[in-house]
Amino acid sequence: MRRRTTAAGLANRIGTTAVWLVVAADLLLVLWILLTSLRSGPDILRNGFGLPTSPQSGNYTTALDQGGFARAALNSVITGGCSSLVAVALAAPCAYALARRRSRTSSALTMTFAMGLGVPGQVLVVPLFVGLSRIGLTDSDLGLTLVYVGLAMPFTVFLLTGFFSGIPGVLEEAAVLDGAGPVRTFVQVVLPVARGGLITAFLLQFIAAWNETLFALVLTNSQDRLTLPVALASFVAAQQFNGLDYGTMFAGVCIILAPMIALFSWAGTRIIQGMTVGIGK
Amino acid sequence: MGRTTNSAARVVGAATAAALALGVSACGGSGSGAKADGGFTYWSMWRADEPQAKVLKAAIADFTAATGAKVDITWAGRDIAKKIGPAIAANQAPDLWDQSDDKVYGATASAGQALDLSPLLDQRIPEENVPVSQVIPAKYFDMLPKDPSGANHYLIPYEVVTNAMFYNAADPVLASAMPTPPTDWAGLLKVCDALKSAGKACIASEGEDPWSNALYFDYLLNGAGVNVAKLAADTSGATWDDPAVLTAAQQIEQLVRGGHLIAGYDATKYPAQETNWANGKAAFYIDGNYVTAEVAQQVPAGWKSASILPPTAKTPDANLIGFAIPKRAKNAAAAQKFIAFFLQKKQLSGIATTALNLTPRKDIPAPAELADAQRALEAPAVRLTFDGVSGAWLPKVLNENYLDLWHGKTTAAQFVAKCKADQVAYWRAQG
Amino acid sequence: MATTIESPPRTDTAQGRPTRAARAGAGPLERQRRRTFWPFTAPALIAYAVLFLAPVGFALWTSLYRWDGMGAMEWRGLRNYTLLFQDPNFRTSLVNTLELMVVGGAVTFVLSFALTLVLREMRARLFARSVLFFPSLVNGMVFGIAAGFLFSPTGPVNQALKLFGVTTPPKWLSTDNLLPMVLGTLVWTATGYYTSIIMAAVDQIPDYLYEAAELDGAGPFQRFRHITLPCAWDVIAVCAVLWTVSSVKIFELILLYGGSTNAFPPVSSWNTAVYVYAEAFPQGTVPRLGTATAAAVVSLAMVTLVTVVLRRLLRRDPVEY
Repeated sequence: MRRRTTAAGLANRIGTTAVWLVVAADLLLVLWILLTSLRSGPDILRNGFGLPTSPQSGNYTTALDQGGFARAALNSVITGGCSSLVAVALAAPCAYALARRRSRTSSALTMTFAMGLGVPGQVLVVPLFVGLSRIGLTDSDLGLTLVYVGLAMPFTVFLLTGFFSGIPGVLEEAAVLDGAGPVRTFVQVVLPVARGGLITAFLLQFIAAWNETLFALVLTNSQDRLTLPVALASFVAAQQFNGLDYGTMFAGVCIILAPMIALFSWAGTRIIQGMTVGIGK
Repeated sequence: MGRTTNSAARVVGAATAAALALGVSACGGSGSGAKADGGFTYWSMWRADEPQAKVLKAAIADFTAATGAKVDITWAGRDIAKKIGPAIAANQAPDLWDQSDDKVYGATASAGQALDLSPLLDQRIPEENVPVSQVIPAKYFDMLPKDPSGANHYLIPYEVVTNAMFYNAADPVLASAMPTPPTDWAGLLKVCDALKSAGKACIASEGEDPWSNALYFDYLLNGAGVNVAKLAADTSGATWDDPAVLTAAQQIEQLVRGGHLIAGYDATKYPAQETNWANGKAAFYIDGNYVTAEVAQQVPAGWKSASILPPTAKTPDANLIGFAIPKRAKNAAAAQKFIAFFLQKKQLSGIATTALNLTPRKDIPAPAELADAQRALEAPAVRLTFDGVSGAWLPKVLNENYLDLWHGKTTAAQFVAKCKADQVAYWRAQG
Repeated sequence: MATTIESPPRTDTAQGRPTRAARAGAGPLERQRRRTFWPFTAPALIAYAVLFLAPVGFALWTSLYRWDGMGAMEWRGLRNYTLLFQDPNFRTSLVNTLELMVVGGAVTFVLSFALTLVLREMRARLFARSVLFFPSLVNGMVFGIAAGFLFSPTGPVNQALKLFGVTTPPKWLSTDNLLPMVLGTLVWTATGYYTSIIMAAVDQIPDYLYEAAELDGAGPFQRFRHITLPCAWDVIAVCAVLWTVSSVKIFELILLYGGSTNAFPPVSSWNTAVYVYAEAFPQGTVPRLGTATAAAVVSLAMVTLVTVVLRRLLRRDPVEY
């Protein structure tokens, strides 16, 4: 018995050390990217791991302006924000109805949405591209937003159904007894209670849209319609024929990372817990 | 009861509509369509911040000033090659686009979707009073594969690229190892040996990039009279049994086993070795002549760019970067007018002076770093890289196998056998 | 189609009221719910049908044709699928996809459980958890770019190894090692992600269960086996399914890990997502949308199969506490 505890204690100590090592590596990586984005391109190529000799923000001005990252950031915010908003607005009433109504149709619909979770994006990429180009919605923020709304449906409905099932129905009963209509009950009684879930769903969808690369790569092409990941890919692709300014590129990487860092330090715990609650119920 | 349902439906519907409308209005739409008054749409392979884009932008501004035609430009970047086909399919093709010849051929011309531009050859270049055919040498068109209708004027080049071994002529170690350029493969190996004993690597190579490394193989096959496109087109794979192919593979093996490739070449990622080369850690680096522009910011002072073809090469290779017009273009005439306009010496010179690259016009001097490359291109005939082999063959048959040879994991004989087998499988999968 | 997560809508159980009573009662609330069911679900359903289900159907249909996207479609029946399996590149892509899914999944979940075990009893655990979660928010392309520097022969990884006496480190960036490197990166990002989710589920397990177990003399492993695992089982099962799909979707990570300039990464590192992309949007050849969608359909079938098997294996009655 005693021996086992010591062995376990040792294992635990090794584990703890390993965790802290990985944590340190993660932090160092972010720090390195940040520092490198302040150095000049040729300098980075000569030695990838130096400190910025004279920290300069020149890379950021170049990236935002000539690299097109400013416009791309705007596009990312628009498509990510719009699609997440629309997705949650569409999914919330649906998930609520699915969670509250117990019938064969309801479980069939729940299943239909859940099945979408198992469809990898590459199945949709060709059809969506063909379809959107037929109606002239390729290379447009609107087209990309619609695609993201569609992609978001299964998970958002699934997550929110979990959330609504966890909310006690007592409040609604009271509201109905007070003579409130279904919409008023939903908007004024249920939604405020489910706010945490809605925000989680919004944030998760926003993060997914922010980093989404395959569809953005396929559906956009002109430089003022790109989202951030595509701007980065296109910037890297231009290294053939004209060379690549690594300083500017690292600045671009930071522009993609910064909102994620900010978002996560603000709402990280909420995102993680929200997810667990949503998928666990 | 009915009332509640309806109101519920109405409210939810309104909320949905509002949400969608919010999305729509905030997200905006896009526009593209036919132009009037001599205008046209142009999708460019360049990003707006690249020097070529600056040259083109200035020319388009001049064109608009001279003709009043408005040009709608999309700076699409290199990915345009993947987008153009589907765009044509959706009837959204631009009136003008540009890419390298292989991409133009593969994405449009091979499917009969590129406009035959041979009438343009007779068009006069503004202010110069000579036809286009007089400033663009015919050899550049002669090397191109023909589209289904037998035409090979689906691209009008404004930049020419040739692949060669680049080096720093001001490097004293290299100068003593190579008093005169080698004329055969043994000569090159001798130069490499001399460099090795002087403590310098002979060849810098991005080990993970099959394309640039296989250029040596391409030039060797060319020297031995083997046409790569014919080699690839053989569905039985029997052409791989040609002893000349094996010899070429063995010559590559000599470079690898002789230790002439820079140390660590198989454990890095582009551009690590290009950087090493630019910093004098190896003598040669094979690539397109745009490499001088790529490393322009890194090379030390006093660097003097020069180039040779791999010895034994008979015909220099060339790649064209130029304009193409989709068959479905709505304003093809206007686009052709601009092509002729851009080929004026005063416009095209920007490709040499601003973008530091070669143009197809002989009367535009190359930038100093590319003098050797321009001289090589003066050969009476030129050929496409890999003899213009079709797009999917390289990644699916040659690339992996070649890298195995290049990394010293397979012998020349194994390489040839593997290529042959993979080629048979490749053609079977084409169905 | 993929069968994934059965989540029977639970309504009244959450209120702690017997279901039977609710059904029999059919009060005003229940009537209202019935009436509003379609108006509430329709918008999402329409968006889902148009933007998701219809494209899946179109993919199935296209996969039976030979089509370059420009000309006419030419009927091919199931021959696209036979061609696909004759293509060594597709077989490589498929094997790689499976390797990422199975090997990556096994390592990720073993590590996640180990971390959950460790983190439960650690100081500053919330901070550590947040940092571990973070890599999953980073676009995969960033890792591809960073790896070129971190793992170069003179890079910091080799420098660090030298401190431990490793003088001949592996050639990290050699083309042979591409897939293992992708796998490693994947495990590293996914472990943080799943650890965080599982940990959050573990946090909801009441402490008294652990205290009671400790009084009974259960060690940390036994506590994990008899309390943590069963109580967090629901979440773990969903995570396993989520992993299956997300492992098949990996795209940008591979694209920039091996793609040096404009070219696609070497075939030895492709997965089916890259294969679909390369067939549908090739550089310099005509698109082959038929085989591209056929490849996509094969990956869909694969996910479906694996999730069905997983659901069978992981089925277990939820533990109430």
